[in-house]
Amino acid sequence: MVASTFVDAFRFMPNHVSLLLEKTGETAELAFAALAIGLLIALPLGLWLGHRHRGLVLALGVSSLGRALPSVVLIGLGIGILGVGFWNNTVALVVLAIPPILTNAYFAVEGVDRDAVEAARGMGLSELQILTRVELPLGLPLLLAGLRIAAVFVIATATIAGLFGGGGLGDIMARQVTYGLSGVFAAAFWVAALALLAAAAIGLGQRAASRRMAPRT
Amino acid sequence: MTGWLVAKGGGPVIPDFGQPSACLKRNGWFCTDWLTKHWGDTLQPALVQHIQLTLIAVGIGFAISFLLALVGFRWRLFDGPLGGFTDLLYAIPSIALFQLLVPLTGVTVTTVEIALVSYTLFILYRTMIAGLRAVPDEVLESARGMGLTRLQTFFRVELPLAAPAILAGLRIATVATISIATVAAFLIDDGLGAPIFAAIETPDLFKTELLATGGLAILLALVADALLAALQRALTPWNRLR
Amino acid sequence: MFRKHTRRAAKAAFAISFGVALLIGLAACGGGGGGGKKTTSTAAAKGPKPAITVGTKNFAEEFILGQLYGQALAAKGFKVTYKNNIGSSEVIDTAFKSGKINVYPEYTGVIALDLAKVKAPKSAAATYQAAKTFEQQKRGATLLKPTPFFDSDTFTMLTSTAKKDGLKTMSDLSKLKSFSYAALPECDQRITCILGMKTIYHLKNIKFVPLGNVSVYTLLDQGKATGGDGFSTDPLQLDPKYTTLTDDKHIFGFQNVAPVVNESLLKGGNGTLLADTLNAVSAKLSLPAMQAMNKAYYVNKQTPKQIAAKFLKANGLAG
Repeated sequence: MVASTFVDAFRFMPNHVSLLLEKTGETAELAFAALAIGLLIALPLGLWLGHRHRGLVLALGVSSLGRALPSVVLIGLGIGILGVGFWNNTVALVVLAIPPILTNAYFAVEGVDRDAVEAARGMGLSELQILTRVELPLGLPLLLAGLRIAAVFVIATATIAGLFGGGGLGDIMARQVTYGLSGVFAAAFWVAALALLAAAAIGLGQRAASRRMAPRT
Repeated sequence: MTGWLVAKGGGPVIPDFGQPSACLKRNGWFCTDWLTKHWGDTLQPALVQHIQLTLIAVGIGFAISFLLALVGFRWRLFDGPLGGFTDLLYAIPSIALFQLLVPLTGVTVTTVEIALVSYTLFILYRTMIAGLRAVPDEVLESARGMGLTRLQTFFRVELPLAAPAILAGLRIATVATISIATVAAFLIDDGLGAPIFAAIETPDLFKTELLATGGLAILLALVADALLAALQRALTPWNRLR
Repeated sequence: MFRKHTRRAAKAAFAISFGVALLIGLAACGGGGGGGKKTTSTAAAKGPKPAITVGTKNFAEEFILGQLYGQALAAKGFKVTYKNNIGSSEVIDTAFKSGKINVYPEYTGVIALDLAKVKAPKSAAATYQAAKTFEQQKRGATLLKPTPFFDSDTFTMLTSTAKKDGLKTMSDLSKLKSFSYAALPECDQRITCILGMKTIYHLKNIKFVPLGNVSVYTLLDQGKATGGDGFSTDPLQLDPKYTTLTDDKHIFGFQNVAPVVNESLLKGGNGTLLADTLNAVSAKLSLPAMQAMNKAYYVNKQTPKQIAAKFLKANGLAG
């Protein structure tokens, strides 16, 4: 039964390419907006706290809290406050994207070898220069790891927005009556593919960042 | 339109269903009258169902992950495929996974549980393997030096040292399960997700029900997280960092 | 020192696993395998009564109807379980066919036009007959007596929008270059919905806005659709903020409710009791009664179970 659906899904895909592309675009747009805004909020905060070695409790607390917030609840609250549309889903996803970015930004910077930081301070670099020229490059792999987690999580969760008029591939998955089980499966495939693509892209960045770090010592 | 069917014994008695409170009329976020009236018939049963769903999923998930981790740890050959398998399960969005299982197990709690267990496998398998692998070689050497057998080494050294990581994974898996279980209302009428969905489907959103039920879900997750964190600290006093 | 800790930790790890396994066992036993809504039957000494599984579709009126029929049967000693919120008519029809449920309330027009797909009958009585024949011949089911009230789909709009565009009937919609209509997902395949608008009203440029777990009225309020599928018994239909366009070509059909009952339930000694009980309930469901009950759900925020209990009690059907 599962096998036949599997096969049917692959028959669904070529017949509905424009639909799938359109829906994937909607999901990608939503995920991108959420990640961008999440980065804007969480990255500077996490980096600065890590640099000052302050706010460990905050970083860990936000991480715990973030995991405890069901996406359904956030989307619902979003609709209640902002109404149905693009922004209520975006806000919900931003809230979910912030914890992994914040936590990893914090630990990425905080965990940098103190000696390197002291040396830089000794050379007379300003705090901001230390952050951008020493800590950030060294902490980049861990930071990107956090972004990767956030990206996969946001893309997967964006599908739930489809249950509440959010469009995207989640919309196909919520409408088995229209697209059949094969359509649902096909959409799930494309979601997984999109998530893997995003993870791989960021993973490449991670590897490039680590490689650049290696010969320095 | 009401004429063509003759009602037996005359028309119905329409009881007075009363009037909504002022708070409900303006759709306030915190109508205490509704909360007190419906704690027993709506909120509490949903909470209990949600706890049940979570416990079963995490319990079974933990047991299966443990067995798989034992296999993957003992025979490295299996680790890759097992890891890939659990990764794949997690990559399937919950809505899709529920629907895929329906032809097999129907629109039942079982279907939801299978899906929830699959998601815990992803988190638990990897952390268990990582925890077991993280045991330093020197410790294993000294254990072997002391004459412990492979089995003894495992139960008396590797497993206890991996305990912090395993508990950390259990903590994350539990919180994640509580969160994902809210989506189960897409399929069945159980758990805290059901009142949340119902509230969102009401015209202009039933704010009190949404906030109360959502709040309960978040609270449940935080309490579970705190309890497991306390357990972690109690059992691994030498490993205070997390 | 280290050893003491490791041994403790190891014991704890196992304790956890066994404890959790124990909890699963307890939870599974305690939950009685599933956490579904159950009711217990009152003591009955009238011979073996068949077990009833009442199914309901995915909206409030159905939940209320399910409770009305189910509680009335339970009062007469039947053992009743509920499967609520199963889905659309097509989905619940499948569930009925596969025996997962054996009683459910359905709308005669939906059966005749969307399931049986017969040519639109010209009266409520004809619609009921067509539906009854279909259920008998194609589903091995009996359609019991229909209710006085009817609840059909509508083309609901904000009154302000209708006035602005000068729309009074659905035929007037041809005046618009394009419009959007919000309804449940199965709508664009139904002759009683968008398909009918396209083929019977010959309306073009309809954008379908599938309702994703959000109310039609919420979408209308937020300007997300021109019109939407409000149900004619919804309390907000009486709100002057909303208006419905007249269905002059009658695509929405005649929609009284009648219980679809598996034939096997009506055989045997308790068949007559079962039929009589359900018919007695249906007879009392007038339009004002149903509107009052819908209002109690949507406005007073009472549960379908409470609403049904109160109604049955007031009408001497609670046993």
